[in-house]
Amino acid sequence: MTKTGMIDFRGVNKWFGALNVLKDITLSVEPREVVVVCGPSGSGKSTLIRCVNGLETIKDGNLIVDGQRVGDPATNMTSLRTEIGFVFQSFNLYPHKTALENVTLAPIHVRKIPRAEAEKAGRELLAKVGLADKVNAYPAQLSGGQQQRVAIARCLGMRPKIMLFDEPTSALDPEMISEVLDVMVAVAEEGMTMMVVTHEMGFARKVAQRVVFMDAGAIVESGTPDEFFSHPRTDRSRAFLSKILRH
Amino acid sequence: MIWHQFLSLAGSYPLALRGLGMTVVLSLISLVLGTLLGFGLGILRTGGNRLISIIIGAWVDLIRGTPFLVQIFLIFFILPEFGIELDAFTAGIRSVPTGQVEAALASGLSRWQRMRQVVLPQAMRIVLPPLVGQYVLLIKDSSVVSAIGLTDLTRVGWLVVQRVPNGLLVFFLVGVGYFIVCYPLIMLARRLERRIGAAHGEVQL
Repeated sequence: MTKTGMIDFRGVNKWFGALNVLKDITLSVEPREVVVVCGPSGSGKSTLIRCVNGLETIKDGNLIVDGQRVGDPATNMTSLRTEIGFVFQSFNLYPHKTALENVTLAPIHVRKIPRAEAEKAGRELLAKVGLADKVNAYPAQLSGGQQQRVAIARCLGMRPKIMLFDEPTSALDPEMISEVLDVMVAVAEEGMTMMVVTHEMGFARKVAQRVVFMDAGAIVESGTPDEFFSHPRTDRSRAFLSKILRH
Repeated sequence: MIWHQFLSLAGSYPLALRGLGMTVVLSLISLVLGTLLGFGLGILRTGGNRLISIIIGAWVDLIRGTPFLVQIFLIFFILPEFGIELDAFTAGIRSVPTGQVEAALASGLSRWQRMRQVVLPQAMRIVLPPLVGQYVLLIKDSSVVSAIGLTDLTRVGWLVVQRVPNGLLVFFLVGVGYFIVCYPLIMLARRLERRIGAAHGEVQL
């Protein structure tokens, strides 16, 4: 038995109809490691991280998360998901709940934490992401950057072991990107295990131990941020980097 | 002449009140039962089981494709209504974006918690205004029960007009009776629509 990571893909395949969207993925993410996943659109990077908490199902291969096999009937996915925070590109805050209610919903109903205690922790988390004054605001009253920070606080409220980020800054106006990245850097520096789908190279260079480059459903290249950005080894990664660097 | 008829009509007010009471009671029963059944089956229909969803969908089509009066003779009054309300609930639940369910799923909420905390409150905002509008239709449509011999407001009209041969006057008053019951609901539907138009994240049920 080989050593297992916090997230362990072993020969994972997935199809959408005839399209092989994940091709024989083998990738291990260690505890406290931050892995950035990048690649052209349609390369399967979002699908990859959505498999980790079971938002997508895999066809074959093994995916072991926190010691449990995803997709195995013996695995309680609902309880596994409580250990995994997921930050969406489009935030997906609950529009009928305030920022604080968004953060405390799962702790109160899933973790069964008493309301007063959950609200205290929720206020602290919102303060931590710089939104102490927006506790009672509804999502529609917040900017995109503020909404995404609430979404991160919502995940942290569950005290997860893993955080997944699916293009967390892609839907944001440029001036709001850094406020979200700053929060993500802070989370990474506290030792969270993270998989982040993003093209933000500044973030990758700052906190990622590894960059994984995907194309057409396969992992083409993987290395430290410095190796990958300064000395890409394949034509495809060079072509990709020249495109995102041009702007 | 008219005055004489009017006095005679005033004399039949106990009958009119009974008819109005019957209309309100019948409407209320079918409203409550229709809503509860529509609500429950609407949830079932969006629950992911294909067979159940097909059966319920067929029921809705059946109800829509046959005249109300025919249904009344076949199955009385309650069953038809929830076919219509069921569709409103189904549409409301389906209008909640997938991302909302995924967010709830990702944070480990159970199936029931996802419905109760995330999907239904948002679906209700969409469903409520047309639903209240539907209630108004229901009250008016309840007049068809007079065809199976129940003494509702419309049937009282038919009874009275035999004694007081002024159909225009009698059914004008019958119309006023329905309007008195329906108007508050029409106002409520309008208020709910306006509140949803105001882009606020809040919903008060």
